[in-house]
Amino acid sequence: MKEKENSSPLSFKQLPVGFEFPPTSYELSESIITKYLEAVGESADFLALGIVPPLAIAACAMTALSQSFTVPPGSIHASQELEFLKPVPIGSRVSCGGRLAQKLARGSLNLVMLEISVLDEDGEQVLSGKATIAAPD
Amino acid sequence: MKEKPNLADIHQGDSLPSVTKHITQQNINLYAEASGDFNPIHVDEAFAAKTPLEGTIAHGMLILAYASEMMTQAFGQSWLKGGKLSIRFKAAARPQDTITTSGQIDTIEYKEDIPYVNCSFECRNQNGDVVISGGSVVRLQ
Repeated sequence: MKEKENSSPLSFKQLPVGFEFPPTSYELSESIITKYLEAVGESADFLALGIVPPLAIAACAMTALSQSFTVPPGSIHASQELEFLKPVPIGSRVSCGGRLAQKLARGSLNLVMLEISVLDEDGEQVLSGKATIAAPD
Repeated sequence: MKEKPNLADIHQGDSLPSVTKHITQQNINLYAEASGDFNPIHVDEAFAAKTPLEGTIAHGMLILAYASEMMTQAFGQSWLKGGKLSIRFKAAARPQDTITTSGQIDTIEYKEDIPYVNCSFECRNQNGDVVISGGSVVRLQ
C-alpha cells in the first residue's frame, strides 16, 4: 500500500506534543481500490467514475501514520474526525503527513490525539482529520 | 452515483438511506490488504482468541465506511468534495455481526448562500448495540 520513508517507529510516549511525522506517500491504485470496495461491500460506481472512496484515502492515511509510532497492546481507535476537500482520481499518488496534537492522561488510559493531512500530487490538500487513540498505561 | 441532490428534495427530519452489511473474516482480511493495516487483532484469529476481546474484530474504519456509503447514497458527489464527519467508536464489530447504519437530517443551514446539511447517524449491530455514533455535515455545491 505505501512506501515507508521513515525509520523504525518510536513509542508514542517518546514523542513530544507537536511532533510532526515524516510524510509518507502511497499510490491509490485501481487494484487497491477494487480490493477496498470488495472489503466494504460498496458499489463499483467509484471504479466507473475513477474516484477513490474518501474513506479509502482516510484508511490508508491512518495506517501510514499509525506505523510511524507504536502503542501498547490493547490500544483502541476511540474517535475520528474527517473532512473531504477534493475528490482523488484512482491511480493518484498522495502524501500523508501528521502531527501529534495532544497527549492526555485519563485514569489508566493515555489519549493520543493526531492531526492528519493528505495532499495530492499538486500539493493540494484533499483530506484532513483528527484521530484519538486510547492507550492503556 | 448522483452528482448532487436536489435541494428541494431535502428536508429537516428526513431519514438517510440505511445501509446494512454482514461482516465476515474474509471482508476484514481484504480490508487489511487494501489499507495495509494487518494488526493481528483484526486478522490473526489464534492471536485474537487469547486477548480480552476473545476473537478478531473489524477495523473501526471498515465500519465507518458504511456510514460514508450512506452519505454517498444520500448526497452523491457533494459528499466526496464537501463532507465532514465526527464520530466515536463505541464498541467492536466482529465477524458474523450484521451492522445497520441509519441516520437523519437534523438541520439545513446557509453560510454565504451555500446550503450545509447537518446529519446524525449510528451504526448498530444485530443486538442493537451502538458500534459508532456521530454526526456529519455536507456542503451542497
